[in-house]
Amino acid sequence: MRAAVRDAQMTEQPQTTTTRRREELGARTLEVRDLRKTVAVGFRRRKVEILRGVDLEVREGDVFGLLGPNGAGKTTTLKVVLGLMRPTSGSVTLGVDGLGELGYLPENPYFYDYLTGTEFLRFCARLFSLDGQERERRIAAILDEVGLERAAGVQLRKYSKGMLQRIGIAQALINEPRFVLLDEPMTGLDPIGRVEVKDIIQRLHERGTTVLFNSHILSDVAALCTRIAIMRDGRVLWQGAVDDALASVPGADLERFFMEVVAS
Amino acid sequence: MKRVVAVALNTFRETIRDRILGVIILFALAMIVASLWLASISLGQEARMIKDFGLLAISLFGLIVAAFVAASLVRKEVEKRTVFVIFSKPVSRSEFIWGKFLGLAATMFVVLMAMTVFLFVLAWIVARPPAGSLLVAGLLVYLQLLVVMAMTMLFSTVTSAVLASVWGICVYCAGQLSHNVLSLSRLGHSGVTHSLSKVVFYVVPNLSAIDVRGAVVGEGAIRHASILAWSGYLVAYLVVVLFAATWIFARKEF
Repeated sequence: MRAAVRDAQMTEQPQTTTTRRREELGARTLEVRDLRKTVAVGFRRRKVEILRGVDLEVREGDVFGLLGPNGAGKTTTLKVVLGLMRPTSGSVTLGVDGLGELGYLPENPYFYDYLTGTEFLRFCARLFSLDGQERERRIAAILDEVGLERAAGVQLRKYSKGMLQRIGIAQALINEPRFVLLDEPMTGLDPIGRVEVKDIIQRLHERGTTVLFNSHILSDVAALCTRIAIMRDGRVLWQGAVDDALASVPGADLERFFMEVVAS
Repeated sequence: MKRVVAVALNTFRETIRDRILGVIILFALAMIVASLWLASISLGQEARMIKDFGLLAISLFGLIVAAFVAASLVRKEVEKRTVFVIFSKPVSRSEFIWGKFLGLAATMFVVLMAMTVFLFVLAWIVARPPAGSLLVAGLLVYLQLLVVMAMTMLFSTVTSAVLASVWGICVYCAGQLSHNVLSLSRLGHSGVTHSLSKVVFYVVPNLSAIDVRGAVVGEGAIRHASILAWSGYLVAYLVVVLFAATWIFARKEF
């Protein structure tokens, strides 16, 4: 079965989601329907609804931008998709074979300081049960892809922010995933680092890999994305093609479009 | 299984490269060497003092490693958010917990065996012939500490690292005393006390059952059948504890 429904991996969770098969997904890589997430916070366990019925649709080959102000629920949505959090209700359906075909870069990633770049990638490859020559081939290829060949033997604690971001992308790509989720991949990077990360996303797109990323940098989103969704207060307010968004505002200004949607 | 080995290897690397571990081992070795001084003022009991004091040092410093490193092992991954990287890959929570435990168990083995062999050589130099029972004692201390590690990891899934360490040390102390608590309660007349003591005896791992320090220093002999049976009980105990830790950890969200 090609479909991987997030809740199927969480057997202890009440069955609040519907199970849909890959065949129903068609050319979609991710479908999120009426996703809700409530968490208990503080000493009195006050209930706060973080996601209030998120609907998303990511198509195969998309570079999909998930936009929204801080606290909109972007990261929580990604965490539920990955199974790091359980949905309170709603469904998440992946059009790939589970986590083996997924890649993920967390926001502000921290990795193991005491490992070298190569050791870290070897560890990640082992988690995908990659062995021997195939593993070493992929490590060499991915280090080349992210431009870290010369820093491969250096411990991660000596890496700069940009290098950490690139090794983070490398670990997300080590399994040659069909669907890559990047949480704020450009945040905190200098202009050179941003260009490098943008180039990597562009190359993934050219290879047909589906990419979903969160970002506050709208110029990068306009340059890279084929489709976007704009979230606020745990809901998706708008989703569609970037070209449609740009065509609907004077000057084809994504920032202006974003402000209009969020303020609506 | 491959993923368990991958997590275990990574944990071994993480813990063995930790500078704190090196400092602890140095202190332990210094304390073992200090037993030479105690031996010199012990009027004909040199061998006994070296072995007794040396084994005490190994247990004490081993306990520090077991309680403090085991407590931070899982929590650090959660706090530093490396769990995001791990659980976004096809790794189950049980593979993670078992891998973490086995990795630290490998580190603990290296640390304890290094200290035990050092003590063995020292005891050999000072008091020939060598006491092979010292190596057996070292292995049994290792088993005791594995149980403490498993308990501490279980605690760390429900509380802070500091509290988990304290609870781990409490388990070690209670485990050393549980047999005595039961024996003492039999001397009294209170039924409630006796029942409570029984509960403590059965719930707390009976670590004292495989303590052979007395036999190593010449007080009685090692009862192999009994040691083997209690060792089996402790292995079963730690497996159950790790399953409990897995069960709790599987319910966590990040």
